[in-house]
Amino acid sequence: MNNHRIATSVIGSYPVSINNMDFMSRYFTQKEINWNIYISSAVQDMTQAGIDIVADGQTRDPFIQLFTRKLKGCRIRDRTEIHEPIEYVQPITITDQQFARSLLSSQSQLKGVLTGPYTLTKSCVDLFYHNEKELAFAFAHALHQEAQALLPFVDFISIDEPFFVNECPEYAKELLLTITKGLSCPTLLHACGDIVPVIPALLEMPVDILSHEFKASPHLLNAFKEYSFPHHFCVGAVRSDSTEVEPVQEIVDHVKKACDLFEDKILQISPDCGQRLLPRTVAYQKLQHLVQAGRIING
Amino acid sequence: MFSFTTEQQTMHISDITIGGQPGQYPTVLFGGLFFSGQPNFPKAKQQLTTMLSLSKKTGIPTIPDFFIRKEEVIEQILDFIQTTLPQTHPFSVDIIEPSIKIKTLEALASRNLLKRTIYNSIHIGIKEEEQEALRRFTPEMVILVAFNPKDKSPDGKIEVIENSAYLLDKGLLELTKDLGFTNILIDTAALAPGDNSGAAIAAIPVIKEEYGLPTGCAIHNVVEKSTWLQQYPSAKKFVDAASNMTIPLFGGDYAIFGPLHQAELVIPIIAWQDILLSEYVEEYFGIQPSETHPRRKLG
Repeated sequence: MNNHRIATSVIGSYPVSINNMDFMSRYFTQKEINWNIYISSAVQDMTQAGIDIVADGQTRDPFIQLFTRKLKGCRIRDRTEIHEPIEYVQPITITDQQFARSLLSSQSQLKGVLTGPYTLTKSCVDLFYHNEKELAFAFAHALHQEAQALLPFVDFISIDEPFFVNECPEYAKELLLTITKGLSCPTLLHACGDIVPVIPALLEMPVDILSHEFKASPHLLNAFKEYSFPHHFCVGAVRSDSTEVEPVQEIVDHVKKACDLFEDKILQISPDCGQRLLPRTVAYQKLQHLVQAGRIING
Repeated sequence: MFSFTTEQQTMHISDITIGGQPGQYPTVLFGGLFFSGQPNFPKAKQQLTTMLSLSKKTGIPTIPDFFIRKEEVIEQILDFIQTTLPQTHPFSVDIIEPSIKIKTLEALASRNLLKRTIYNSIHIGIKEEEQEALRRFTPEMVILVAFNPKDKSPDGKIEVIENSAYLLDKGLLELTKDLGFTNILIDTAALAPGDNSGAAIAAIPVIKEEYGLPTGCAIHNVVEKSTWLQQYPSAKKFVDAASNMTIPLFGGDYAIFGPLHQAELVIPIIAWQDILLSEYVEEYFGIQPSETHPRRKLG
């Protein structure tokens, strides 16, 4: 094994039990909505499990609406509709990240998570630009402002681009550079699914760390053997699409295989993807096992 | 004044019609009883007599809205309804606590009162037990409260109707229809001053244009929560009553005007507003007032 320490991390979302009746009671008594209890719940699970790099849990919304809700030009319907120019008019995740940071000890680190511009573009109905590339860059410019606003509060910024699995557009590098240009913290690109066809494109991306779903798609390790890689890696080590909790030894064996290939380029291990759709107890156990596996690997 | 471009539905309960184009049918008024939780039946009887008499005189349909706060008063309130209200007159039951809602539905069914009942209300706090009770005992009409804890703007209200803002597994409108309701009123969820209170009024034409459903709100809640108005105690009850005028002015179909003792002020104000409105829309859009419209009561 290598001497460097591999950190445990998460991708972003985490399951919480939302109390809708509490919202309604607050409506009937005209009291303010309190979302911090849900952020606390997610962050506390991550820290109690022993995760080194946590996130705010993205508890407020699915990852598309989390961003489109606060960007001018977006109108949430069945799918988000773009009806005016995209404009960054207010912080999107800053308040939640600030609160998440206040819950952490000095040993823990925080990951800010941005839903990527291409994924936002592909998930919205474009009633204004009628041009995919233009819309994607409008999102990217807005996300750059959010990324800059995140810098005082987070240690990493991750860009979540699941749509890259289907298609990595020819302007993808320029698109991500629009966000990451000038950022002073390490950046990640998270693209889940079977990314084999787009690996060459991903290796061009202007980020520090590539984060992929290696546990559900272990053949990715073989696929990466074909290339040399300038990036560091965050290796998916427990599945996010299965309620079966992986035994610690299974995770250790998986990460060791990844270490054989990536060597000291592995900086983080994490779940394959966001854990939002898992039952909370399962999500928590997976994080606990991930942490135990990390301790064994780090020796 | 304006007219909607989409077809406007009308909902019927007993001999009261709610909905349609502005000026077509009179604004329906809901007056509240027993808000404190402890019914005062003699006082309530007197107030109901006044309300029904004014309703007959002006042509403004009125519906008592019974707050039921404790299980032990359910039977007493239903006894009162059966002995005091005219035999087919509709009424609404306004209940927050889900367990009391379920008990009241059972009691209404056992007394054959469901055909006269408006269920106030369905919202994102609904749980499976309440849904099950509503499938078995479906009142004639329902109020759907479009409160969105994530977005208090008119768009947010549309979102909760469409997809429950992702807090339930389907939209509130679809859920309400699935439960067996065909007579659906939308309540735009009035909020306290400073908390996007204007959105409840602004949302009325937006929702009517989008869905064509009868729409209104309890603008009284805004007045009730105003600390600013406390400086003008002698004006408060007039402001409270007059605020209801904004509902028909913005194309709304009904107002939940607060305590029933305000009926003497609110009913003539709304009748006056409806008369003027009817004159405008007949002149511009050719919309004839219904046979029982307050304008027909002019000498």
